[in-house]
Formats: sequence, structure tokens, C-alpha cells
Amino acid sequence: MPHDHSHPHNKPLSDVELRVKALESVLTEKKLIDPEAIDLIVETYETKIGPRNGARVVAKAWTDPAYKARLLSDATAAISELGFSGVQGEDMVVVENTEAVHNIVVCTLCSCYPWPTLGLPPVWYKAAPYRAKVVKDPRGVLEEFGVSLPDETEIRIWDSNAELRYLVLPKRPDGTDDMSEAQLAEIVTRDAMIGTDVLAAH
Amino acid sequence: MPTLTPDIVPGLIATGASARLDEDVAAKFSVGDAVEMKNINPVTHTRLPRYVRGKKGVVERDHGVFAFPDTGAHGLGHKAQHVYSVKFSFRELWGEDHAENMYLYIDMFDDYMKPAL
Repeated sequence: MPHDHSHPHNKPLSDVELRVKALESVLTEKKLIDPEAIDLIVETYETKIGPRNGARVVAKAWTDPAYKARLLSDATAAISELGFSGVQGEDMVVVENTEAVHNIVVCTLCSCYPWPTLGLPPVWYKAAPYRAKVVKDPRGVLEEFGVSLPDETEIRIWDSNAELRYLVLPKRPDGTDDMSEAQLAEIVTRDAMIGTDVLAAH
Repeated sequence: MPTLTPDIVPGLIATGASARLDEDVAAKFSVGDAVEMKNINPVTHTRLPRYVRGKKGVVERDHGVFAFPDTGAHGLGHKAQHVYSVKFSFRELWGEDHAENMYLYIDMFDDYMKPAL
């Protein structure tokens, strides 16, 4: 791993850090991995693949109706038009938030998440409290994120625990009619594409 | 097994490995079918969570043919079958005190489902 972080070196490693180091050593000794390959994977997801990719997909869908139609009918192909494809995005589904419907994505099994468009999942997405609560009390979860929806809004939870990966197409906020596609991409948040955020009017 | 080296990482990340299979397997269910998840309790790997076992839903979309993780995870083969998006109401899953306009969608394999009576 690159050594440019700032943890104090006199602290013992956590259990997770020790386990990761032990696994990496064993896999390296058995010649299943070259540690440099692991560094490259980490670097790729730290610097190249993240939620800005998904934001570009969303901004294009907001400004190009034909693209939006393709995105909702064959998400994998439409997303790959923008160059985003690969691990954990092989089979994508995009669900659209509207005035009447709000979608939220979860994986109750573990942490399934659309990597090419959103990068690696945030810690809370992988944590048991989110996974257990959002399928039962989504309005309570939204409240924790500071989001309140009218009672009339239909809520759809997508448990992505098989092989499909889900991306939410957030509702385009009011007051953004004059914004360009690039400007729109700037205002799309990661959480809005998971469904735990609603984008504020501008 | 070949060593994971830096030169194959970019291609690996960009391509991934879909669990979708190009096999001609008949679908056991159609969009609109009322289905019931089997009440089974495997002690091995499964993608059938407890909270939908024994619950009734409706097939919303047929995603096509995929490898079955319940067998694949244990080296027992792909057992290619259809995966469907199945819609459940919160009232069915969690009880009648839940709002009517709340739904849960989950992707279910043929082997998990039977026709709802």
C-alpha cells in the first residue's frame, strides 16, 4: 500500500488491518497475487472510479430524453456508452425517482453496489443497521439522512442481493433549467444515486 | 490459478465477470405471475433472505438467465435459471400497520419460487 497516510505509528494495528495484512501475505506467498496488483486496484478506486461517473450518467439523462429512455430500458448498455462498465456493473438496472415515486437501493446480503458508476460503497451502506432498517422502515432511515417525503410518495426499496446492480436516477431539482449538463453533474450527490438523499432546489 | 499481476488489472476492472449465462433455459414464470417464495432454510449459501421466505409477490421483470449462486458457491455447478424482479408489498412482508404505498423489489431465482395459490 502507498505510505502517504498519517496514522500514528506507535498504535497497534486493528484486527481488520491485521487480517488484511495476513491475507495479503498468504496470497502473495501462494503466488495468487502480486501485491502491486492490489495497490493498483486500490488506487483505481481511490482516484479514477467513483460517484462522479454516476453523476455524469444522471446529468446526461436529465438533458437528453433519448438517452434517458435507453438508460431506463437497457441500463448496462447506456452506461457503457459513457465508458463506464466492468466489475460490479456487469448487469445494471436504473430506477427513476419522480414526484410520485422514490427509490432506495440496499443489499441485505452484504454490500452489493454498482462500482463503475458509484465507486466503492460507503461504510454505512455495508453496515447492518442500514441494511436491516431500510427494508422495514425506509422513512425512518430517510429521516436519519435529513430527508422527509410526503406520505403520498410511493416508496420502492430495491434489495440487490442477486446479480443485478441498481442506480437511482434522482429527480432533477427545481430551478436548474438553465444549467448545462456539466453543471448538473456537479450537483448530483452519491447518496441521491443510492436513494438516501433528495437534491435540493436551486 | 494464474497470479493476479498489475498488467491484467485494468482489463479485469473494465470487463468484470457477469453471472449472466448464454444458455437457453425456459422461464418457469412470466411477468405478472403471482408467486410465493419457498419457505426453506438452507444452511449453505443462498440469496433467498429470511424476510421473503413464505411471502407472496408478483413477478415484475424477467432479467434473463443467470448462474445460481446456491450451487455455484459450493462448486456444484451453475444450474442456469431465470432471475426475476419480484415485487412485495410492505403489508405482506411486515404487517397490516404499514402504509399501502410501500414496496420491496428483490431479484429471485426460479428455484426460490412457486405459484401463489
